[in-house]
Amino acid sequence: MKILGIETSCDETAVAIVEDGRFVRSSVVSSQIDLHARFGGVVPEIASRAHVQLITAVIAEALVEAGCELSDLDAVAACHGPGLAGALLVGVSAAKALALAADIPYVGVNHLEGHLHAAWLEEPDLASPLAVLLVSGGHTMVVAVEDHGKYRVLGQTLDDAAGEAFDKVARLLGLGYPGGPAIDRLAREGDARAVSFPRPMMGNGFDFSFAGLKTAVAYHLRGAPDSVPADIAASFQEAVVDTLVSKLLAAADEIDAPTLVIGGGVAANSRLRERVLELAASTGRQAFLPPPELCTDNGAMIAATAWWRLRLDGPTPLDSGADPSLTLR
Amino acid sequence: MLLLCFDTATPRVSVAVGRDGDALAEIDLPPGRRHAEELVPAIQEVCAAGGVALDAIAAVCVGIGPGLFTGLRVGVTTAKVLAQALRIPVVGVPTLDLVAFPLRHATRLVVPTIDARRGEVFYALYRGVPGGLQRVSDYAVGSPQELAGELAALGDDVLIAGDGALLYRAEFDELEHVELAGPAAAWPRAAALLELAAPRVEREEFCAPWELEPLYLRASDAEIQWDRRGL
Ligand SMILES: [Zn+2]
Repeated sequence: MKILGIETSCDETAVAIVEDGRFVRSSVVSSQIDLHARFGGVVPEIASRAHVQLITAVIAEALVEAGCELSDLDAVAACHGPGLAGALLVGVSAAKALALAADIPYVGVNHLEGHLHAAWLEEPDLASPLAVLLVSGGHTMVVAVEDHGKYRVLGQTLDDAAGEAFDKVARLLGLGYPGGPAIDRLAREGDARAVSFPRPMMGNGFDFSFAGLKTAVAYHLRGAPDSVPADIAASFQEAVVDTLVSKLLAAADEIDAPTLVIGGGVAANSRLRERVLELAASTGRQAFLPPPELCTDNGAMIAATAWWRLRLDGPTPLDSGADPSLTLR
Repeated sequence: MLLLCFDTATPRVSVAVGRDGDALAEIDLPPGRRHAEELVPAIQEVCAAGGVALDAIAAVCVGIGPGLFTGLRVGVTTAKVLAQALRIPVVGVPTLDLVAFPLRHATRLVVPTIDARRGEVFYALYRGVPGGLQRVSDYAVGSPQELAGELAALGDDVLIAGDGALLYRAEFDELEHVELAGPAAAWPRAAALLELAAPRVEREEFCAPWELEPLYLRASDAEIQWDRRGL
C-alpha cells in the first residue's frame, strides 16, 4: 500500500511516498532556510506563501523519484497540526485535492506522532516501551511510547523549545540563522566547562524550561564581553544537552524502557547524539538515533504514520481542517 | 467544455460547475471563514448536483484575490493541485473582477471593493465597454478615506460594491456622485467566475499549475518592517 505524505507545518515543504508504513520510495524536502535567514527565524506569512509556490513541484518530484503515478497511490496524508496555521492549511488543502482527484482516502496526521514514527521507519523492531526525546525549534518533550498509537507525554517545555534557545543564543553570539548547526560546529572548538550555565529544572519532574538559560547567556556576555565565543557555545550546548539527557534518563527509568530514541531537528546535534549513546551504554539500554534527515521535518514520517492511522481509525473526513495547537494523545 | 470554478478570497466559499459559461450547479456558503473545511465537500456537492464527474472537467478556474490570505491559499492550493492531479490547466481570475462582473451593465464607473482588514480595502476601477467591463486602474489596497478622496477627485458617477464598501459605507454615503450597490452584489460568486473564465479557456489563456499564485497586494509584515528598517 503506497501512501503519499505531505508536511508543511513550518518552513519545510516536504512530500514523500512510503509503502506499507515502512519502505521510503521517495522523500523530497524543499527547505526555506534562505527565505527566513535575514529575519533570524521563521516568518509564518513568508513560510505560508512559499508553501503555495512550491507544493506542486515537490509533489511532482516525489512521484517521479518513486516512479509512481497518482493512480498508483492508495491514500494521501498531510500533517494537520500542530504548527503554523497558514502553513498547515496549504498541505491539508493539497492532500485533500489529491484525495478528491484520485478518489482515495485522506488521512490527517499529528506532526508529533509523525516524529515518533520516524524511528520505526529505520528500525521496525525496537523493544518497547520506548523513551523518546522530541526536540526541535517548535517542541521539546519526553514521550513514553508503548506501541503505534499509544503514547503518553511525560513532560514538555514550559517556555522556549530547545531549538529556539539555540537560535537565540546563536543570535547573541552573532552566528546567524539557523542557530543549531552553527553552535554545534563552533562548540567543537570550545571548552564546555569554561562557564557553568544553569541546568534548568534538573531533578525536578519531566518538564523543561529554557528561557532562563538563554537569559543567563545574555547576562554573562554583558558582564564578560571578551568571552571566547567557542567556549560560550560549548558551555551553553553542554547545559542544554545535560538537561535533555537527564530528563530522557528519568523518563526511561519511570517507564522501565529498554530503548532510548531521539527525534526532531535538535536530534541532529552531534553532542546530544554522543551523550545519548553514552547514556544507553552506561545504563544497559539500546539507543536508536534516526539519521538526521528523518529527525528533521519530512513527508516520510507523515506517510508512515498515516499507514498506521488508517488501520487504527480509518480515513479522515474531507470536511476536516487543521489544528495549529493539536496535542499528542 | 466543463469548468469547475471556485472563490475563497472572502469569508464565503462559492463553487460552481458549468458548461461553457452556463452554470449547471452552484453553492454559495454563508460567511464562516472555514475555507479549508468547506471547499472540498462543496466541490463534491456541486459536481454531484450538476451530474459532472471530476475527470470530465476541462479546466479549474479560481479567484486569486486579493482577499483573506488564508482563504486565498486554500483556494489557490486546491486549484493548482487538482489541476496537477487531473492533468488539466488552471485559470486564475482576480476576485475584484468577480465582484465587478454583475454590475457590467452600469453606465458609471464601477468600483468593487473587498475588506482588507486593518482599516483598509482592496479595490480597482472599471468602465463599461461593449461586451463587459474594462479595468482602468491597478488592483490597489488603501484606506476607505483614500479611496473616497480618489473618487471625489475623479468626479465621475460611481457605482461602488463589495463588503469593503458596505463596512465603510459612511465614507462613501457622503459623496453625492457615488452610489453604493446593495448587499446582493457584495460577494464574489463562482457563477461570475464561470462566465469570465469560459472565454479565457476558449482562448487558452491559462497557466500551468505551478505558475498559479495568489494576488496578495501586500508584503508580509516582516518584509514591510524590514524595508522600513532599510530606509
Ligand atoms: Zn517537527
